Amino acid sequence: MPDPIIITRKLRREFIRDQFHVIALEDVDLEVQPAEFVALMGPSGSGKSTLLHLIAAMDRPTSGEIKALGTDLRALSDRQIARWRNQHIGFVFQSFNLIPVLTALENVELPLRLTKLSRKDRLEHARTALELVGLGDRVHHLPRQLSGGQEQRVAIARAIVTDPDIILADEPTGNLDAGSALEVLTLLSRLNKEFSKTVVLVTHDPHAAQFASHTRHLEKGQLLPNSVAV
Amino acid sequence: MIRHWPLVLKNGLRNKRRTTLTVCSIAVSLCVLGVFLAIYHSFYFTDATPEQAFRLVTRNKVSLAQVMPTSYRQKIEQVSGVREVMVMQWYGGEYKDPKNMFARMAIEPARFFAMFPEIKLAEEQKLAFQRERSACLLGRELAEKFNLKVGDRVTLKGDIFPGTLEFTVRGVYDNTRRPADEMFFNIQYLYESLPQRRRDFAGTFAVLADSPDSVPRVAREIDALFRNSPVQTKTETEREFELSFISFLGNVKAFLLSVCGAVTFTILLVSANTMAMSVRERVKEVGILKTLGFTRGAIMGIILGEAALIALLGGILGWCLALLLTQGLRYAPVMIGEIKMLTLRPSVTVVLLAASLIIGIASALIPAWGASRTTIVDAMRHSG
Repeated sequence: MPDPIIITRKLRREFIRDQFHVIALEDVDLEVQPAEFVALMGPSGSGKSTLLHLIAAMDRPTSGEIKALGTDLRALSDRQIARWRNQHIGFVFQSFNLIPVLTALENVELPLRLTKLSRKDRLEHARTALELVGLGDRVHHLPRQLSGGQEQRVAIARAIVTDPDIILADEPTGNLDAGSALEVLTLLSRLNKEFSKTVVLVTHDPHAAQFASHTRHLEKGQLLPNSVAV
Repeated sequence: MIRHWPLVLKNGLRNKRRTTLTVCSIAVSLCVLGVFLAIYHSFYFTDATPEQAFRLVTRNKVSLAQVMPTSYRQKIEQVSGVREVMVMQWYGGEYKDPKNMFARMAIEPARFFAMFPEIKLAEEQKLAFQRERSACLLGRELAEKFNLKVGDRVTLKGDIFPGTLEFTVRGVYDNTRRPADEMFFNIQYLYESLPQRRRDFAGTFAVLADSPDSVPRVAREIDALFRNSPVQTKTETEREFELSFISFLGNVKAFLLSVCGAVTFTILLVSANTMAMSVRERVKEVGILKTLGFTRGAIMGIILGEAALIALLGGILGWCLALLLTQGLRYAPVMIGEIKMLTLRPSVTVVLLAASLIIGIASALIPAWGASRTTIVDAMRHSG
């Protein structure tokens, strides 16, 4: 069995919010294998998104260990983390989060601006990513000219354009109708199966979780021991 | 930052109305700053012309309103290094309407053209002016403004001096160094209009030195000559003399600098407010960029670049407006030569554009710093 691509040990995240001490995650031990599709489920406030943010190195844990692709994320500086995230993580938000003044192509090209690729290569990669998500004919559209489902597909294209090892999706179907949600989930599943991408999907929709190979449940900041294999 | 230039450009044009208003407000402020800097430069950093470098002005030490005896000329002529001395008297007076402001100077025609070689006119006009007691010379700009030509009559109603003087225009001159907008006439004609007991006076003496190097020494020696006289003198270069006129307006230097400072500070506040608003609206996008791998430095570069772009656009527009305004001020009804020759010199242009860049960057520094320090999680939680 290969080494896990994501490992957390005794992961803990605490916040002080308006003088209230909040424990968002408590002693979370999680292992995700390469090319696995894991769904993280749980009610609102259970710590799903916090765990995803920690895996993406968008946030730092209060204590505990977190390793992704063999890298101890706590040991990296802000600059190293930014570069690591650019190279290895593709993140899909619930609310798409495209830059409104940029076209679909420019939005997808954005992460590649941090690489050494030439403009021509960047645009070629971005076009390929958009074609992969079925939006090859929408490259010059602004986000406001796209439907919700199309916007989310652009966001997925942006997440995969750097060819990351891990795709993290934070309730990507939360703002979509059933048809668009199905398209997005199918796309994530395809990226997992055809391109061997590791996908961690946060959702509280059991239907969405069915696309994952494994489902883990979080409740009150703790990862429940039951692992459900589909 | 250059790599992210398209993003900077698109962000700058995101809210066109706000960007336009900000650019305009910066432009207007920098236009004012540009004009004041041009005036400041013109007053305090303009070198004397080659002709001026030879000339000095001797006046009553007490004030310009106090005169000196004409006999001082003979003594001044004795000073080593003095080539020529000429009596000059400000006449004042009124031409048709009190609003018709221009300099009217009584001078000595026989010495005038040697003293002011930059004044050019036809030889026959020069001779006619020197021959006829009631002749006057008009600068070309002045003659054109009042539609006067050689042979026309000009009447000046006295205010400092009693009576009315009638002149015949005998020459229209050009000035190779400054606007030709003055009137000159024979001081003997003025003396003759006054009672005998009031004729012995000189408002100033224009002194021509044999070389620019001897000017400081000549000034010292002239004043030393009259140190123990009842009427003491103050001799200075023509350039210093002109600046002393400006000082009559008050502490012009402090005034100009304080206006420039106030304008700069105001633009800084306006620009800072705009940038703060602009960044606050985009905190979430900062979070997105960071998620994609943009570093703090890149975020700061993008925001500072946007502010610098807007400020620079305002600076360029402000420079254009200032250029128009300085051209317009040349025709203002003022008798300060520097204003009539006002121009935006390259050094003022550089200062203006540099000021706009600095204002842009300084105004965005705090918002950019704050945005770059915001964590992704906090940024994504921001509702904007």
